[in-house]
Amino acid sequence: MSWQYSSAALFLLLAIVAGLGRILRGPTAADSMLAAQLFGTCGVAILLLLARGLEWEVLQDIALVFALLAALAAVAFALRTWGGTER
Amino acid sequence: MGLLHNLGTVCILLGIPFFISGTIGLLRFPDIYTRLHALTKADNVGLGFVVLGLSLQADGWHTVARLLLIWLLVLIASSASCHLVARAALRKKIEPWSRP
Amino acid sequence: MPGNCSPVSLPLATRLTRLLARLVLYAVLWSVLAGLDGRSWIIGLPAVSAAACCSLFFAPQRLCPLSPLGLLRFIPFFLNLSFWGGCDVMRRALSPVMPLNPGLVRYQVSLPEAPQQVLLLNCISLLPGTISADFSGQCLTIHTIDRDMPVWSTVHLLERRVAAVFGLRLAGGAP
Repeated sequence: MSWQYSSAALFLLLAIVAGLGRILRGPTAADSMLAAQLFGTCGVAILLLLARGLEWEVLQDIALVFALLAALAAVAFALRTWGGTER
Repeated sequence: MGLLHNLGTVCILLGIPFFISGTIGLLRFPDIYTRLHALTKADNVGLGFVVLGLSLQADGWHTVARLLLIWLLVLIASSASCHLVARAALRKKIEPWSRP
Repeated sequence: MPGNCSPVSLPLATRLTRLLARLVLYAVLWSVLAGLDGRSWIIGLPAVSAAACCSLFFAPQRLCPLSPLGLLRFIPFFLNLSFWGGCDVMRRALSPVMPLNPGLVRYQVSLPEAPQQVLLLNCISLLPGTISADFSGQCLTIHTIDRDMPVWSTVHLLERRVAAVFGLRLAGGAP
């Protein structure tokens, strides 16, 4: 894998790991959810970079599923868990 | 490798600072609303650059179409979830932080 | 106006055209996802048909009547603004003093129908300095990261562009 893909993916991984600090600090559940959102976007970018770098097209499909799941998780969180349906 | 390839590499590398600053904003900003700003905008521009760079290097239109579809999906997903989280926070009466 | 009729009252020909439009849309989507391998249609054909039927059942209105010219002009406008949105956030996050002056702003939306409002709401969150925080009735609550930014005029411009995507013209005016 050539250097640009691996180094870019590494930096994105660092961004995710640093973002996990937000889960520890909170303070609300929504802040932890934001870290999960970060995981979604950065994860998609990492998968796309690896798909190109490793010449492994299947990873693109996994990225697509990642994007879908991140959206579903956020919607379920905002409407059911944290927001509640009442009020 | 040709000009397009190098241009693509430049775009990919341009995207990284946006991701990093999104994370820094997530860690530094004072309340949930401002953190939403950081995450939604910065990360989408970052992903946009990565997708643009990979599209420039792609072998055919099919890969480009799929990359753009993924970006569009992430765009819609993150702005919709940004709205939903902000709305839930407002309805929970979480006061936005304001400069003292 | 399109969109406000129940599926029962529609003539058969209208329903068939709408079904056909969706079949084409989902078939294109499938060929993007699955590639041009002919064997993929063994799963693709039932999936596309099922998706078209489901979408017609849940949203029987016409597929949004978009204006191609409006859409073509909207894309660079949106990409430009969302790029500056990212740069703005980057500047604020990296600056040592963190120049933030957040607050809530209200905005009266004049776009009439749901698809247009959804597009507006989603785009606002990617603009420099604004996220759409709540929407009820026609009143939109916007959270801005800096109260000194021209929020009203930016959102107003965006609203007019969104209207143009759907081939509408808004009677614009001062607040």
